[in-house]
Amino acid sequence: MQKSAVWVICPAFNEGATIANVVADLRRCRYNVVVVDDGSTDATRHEAAKGATAVVVHPVNLGQGAALKTGIDYALSQGAEIVVTFDADGQHRAENIARLVRALKQEHADFALGSRRLGQSRNMPFERRVFLFAATLFTVATTGLCLTDTHNGLRALTRRGASALSLRQNRMAHASEILTDIANSGLRYTEVPVTIDYTCYSLAKGQRTGDFMMILLDLFARKLHR
Amino acid sequence: MIAQVILSLLLCSVLVYSWVEYRRSPAVAVSSFIASLAGLYFVWMPLHSTHVAKFIGIGRGADLIMYLWVCISLIVLLNLHLKLRSQHEVITALARAIALANASSATEAGLQSIEHETAIKSRAELASDASYKEPTMTVRTAAVDSTVL
Repeated sequence: MQKSAVWVICPAFNEGATIANVVADLRRCRYNVVVVDDGSTDATRHEAAKGATAVVVHPVNLGQGAALKTGIDYALSQGAEIVVTFDADGQHRAENIARLVRALKQEHADFALGSRRLGQSRNMPFERRVFLFAATLFTVATTGLCLTDTHNGLRALTRRGASALSLRQNRMAHASEILTDIANSGLRYTEVPVTIDYTCYSLAKGQRTGDFMMILLDLFARKLHR
Repeated sequence: MIAQVILSLLLCSVLVYSWVEYRRSPAVAVSSFIASLAGLYFVWMPLHSTHVAKFIGIGRGADLIMYLWVCISLIVLLNLHLKLRSQHEVITALARAIALANASSATEAGLQSIEHETAIKSRAELASDASYKEPTMTVRTAAVDSTVL
């Protein structure tokens, strides 16, 4: 697979401090990088523009799910064959992408999902560990997918896989929604061990454990209307 | 009598509302329809409502109707919430269209510096790619360490 056909989507909201490094790492690995600035109020878009292949700016803050969708739409319009979702806060490693892309090819899968349970997570707090375990149980129960880590932001999708995602959940419920879509699409998926680095920065930016009530509410509301 | 007429009018408007809403959210429409029908019945048959109220353990029929009214309000509130959500989806589509229309490819200067950088690093990268065998999870490169705050 040519690396020029791989597009990495980085949704970023006020990530001015890390985005330049993240983009530089990805560009060093010669991937196309689309930074979706989700209405940041800091210098994210300027920092991103220093290295990214493209910067797409939401005029208002819509949420990570919406930013992913925008990035995927853009990448597909640019002829991407493989789309990778990658967090902008520095907790993912650019080296892991090659592994995901290879897994797509070797296993003829349309979705390669990063798993920190198969791989490694550094400095994950106990509370986060319990929360993720519960989230995984919930998602496995509701989607029927056989996964060890359901809420990992590092994923690789083929063009066909990316087109099968609806991504109508703007906020954080998109992680569960993606899995539901994967289950419904009937396409092949595989899990790949990845390393997640928990830093003070990424923990502060990431989910609060209390957010799960909002996520459940979002998922419930989704079922009520068309 | 006056109170009954006013209440009936209000409940009829809920009936109309549920009929209008049916296309968008059948669940909300059907439940508010049933609730308002029950309300109408009890407004005109307060005695029956008292029987029912006693049966389910509420003191007076009037209380029962008030509870029903609260339920209807909650359902309408939920429906408003759903409406807001679908409106937000429209906003999202709009914002996305604007964002994609204004998508900027990276500045030429930025791209060139990256090209230069990748040219230098590509040999090292190739070497590391070739040596890639199995996912060894404990390896941690100095470059990544430096990004960890």
